[in-house]
Amino acid sequence: MPLPSGVQMDETALIRAAQDGDHAAFEQLVRAYDQSVLRLAMNLLKSREDARDVYQEAFLRVFRNLHSFRFDCSFHTWLYRIVTNLCLDHMRKRKVRKEEPTVVATAEEPFDRLNAVPEERVQGDPQRSLFSGQVRKRIKEALGELSPRERMVFELRHYQGLRLRRIGEILGTTEEAAKNCLFRATQKMRTGLGDLI
Amino acid sequence: MSKGHGEITCAAAREQFAMLLYAELSFDEEERVESHLDGCAACRDALEREKALHAAFDQVETEPSPSLLRECREDLHARLLEEEAAPLPRQIGWWDRFIGGLTLRPVGALALVVVGFLGARLTPLLNLGNGSGAYQAMGLTEPQTSRVRYVEPVSGGRVQIVIDETRERVVSGPLDDQKIRALLLGAAKDPSDPGLRAETMGILNTRAQSADVRDVLIYALGHDQNAGVRLKAMEGLKAFAREPNVRGAFSQVLLSDLNPGLRTQAIDLLTEDANPIVDRQIMETLQELMERGEQQGYVRERSRRVLEAMHASSETY
Repeated sequence: MPLPSGVQMDETALIRAAQDGDHAAFEQLVRAYDQSVLRLAMNLLKSREDARDVYQEAFLRVFRNLHSFRFDCSFHTWLYRIVTNLCLDHMRKRKVRKEEPTVVATAEEPFDRLNAVPEERVQGDPQRSLFSGQVRKRIKEALGELSPRERMVFELRHYQGLRLRRIGEILGTTEEAAKNCLFRATQKMRTGLGDLI
Repeated sequence: MSKGHGEITCAAAREQFAMLLYAELSFDEEERVESHLDGCAACRDALEREKALHAAFDQVETEPSPSLLRECREDLHARLLEEEAAPLPRQIGWWDRFIGGLTLRPVGALALVVVGFLGARLTPLLNLGNGSGAYQAMGLTEPQTSRVRYVEPVSGGRVQIVIDETRERVVSGPLDDQKIRALLLGAAKDPSDPGLRAETMGILNTRAQSADVRDVLIYALGHDQNAGVRLKAMEGLKAFAREPNVRGAFSQVLLSDLNPGLRTQAIDLLTEDANPIVDRQIMETLQELMERGEQQGYVRERSRRVLEAMHASSETY
């Protein structure tokens, strides 16, 4: 998500300062975006270690190449190009290894907001809780059936809330191609989950 | 039904539902789907199922733990120090200015890495003690992430260290607790995290009877960039749809929001029991919509019907 409008005005100055070697400015840039970068990586890769790797590598690449950033696109788009490429690499490697896990298995479980925040509709109703759990399991399975590109577009549109035009910019394709990809992804999801809803 | 409602078949309309919900249809595409929906009850039901499916997707979103974020930041900081210790030819960074000379660089690099490492790892341990040193005076009594930002030798063989810190605390309490409430009201406006805002709205929704909570929900409905957050805010305000300021917020959604789903809900809530005497503002809102050529089929038709029921013209005077 790009910086909110009030902050957006300062972003150019922040980037220029970071390009000039201002460490604090670089850190501010990282802090502005790193939560959403980590969430994207975590959602896509479902692995604490892989998400951590992507986070490190993405911001190191930003650090190393910031001097070549020419404001041809927004910083958000530029950063997300790096992050999505790294995530796609991880996902493609997994497809080859056929190791796609559908459940997060880590030493410390990620913070699942749905579990952490009691939901009134489900709380106290074991049958509905069970149903909710089944739905989640099926959705994770259906997401696992998407191709890496479909998964990426779906993630960026549904969970990150980016418009297809920006997704196209990030992935180096057209808005129309991104739309087709999202269309295929939603069709697959509907096919996989149609009987549940 | 296969055709006859608008210009597309049921199958063609349903194929577009996902894009309709993502608000990614072109003007003409949306118009064709909306026209079809106006006359096809089966497709309206199918759209409701599609909405339920969309809502279900949200259940699997994973939020990284705060500790993971903290670890990532610490790791990155350490890696950046390493990078700075061996800068690329074209980069002249803060490190160069700080050290000011090549000869000191290796010693300084080692010192900063060591101090940074110790600062991050040992400071929490120091805080566990009951000593009366500077750390306690600084109020560092909670688990925290620290990094050394600046070091400087001072007189008497002492060293002054500037620490950049992020403290992390877990608090819990009833929703009616003022401190908890204040934290939630702050989180509802956190510009960096739409997920956090959405969750916060979901919690605040149960306390919308309080004016301060309602104000936050109204603000989010009118200003939040994320449609999901605005939707949650609207849910919380539904029960107060008779309140003038809430009606004003719904009217604003109807007039200005780009999300078709939100606008549909807004007009339903506003016109549930609209009264031409009491609700002159609603009447004028609907007239404005009609006058400027409302494009969303459902909203247009509903406006027309309500204005008819109110015996009001479709134009403003």
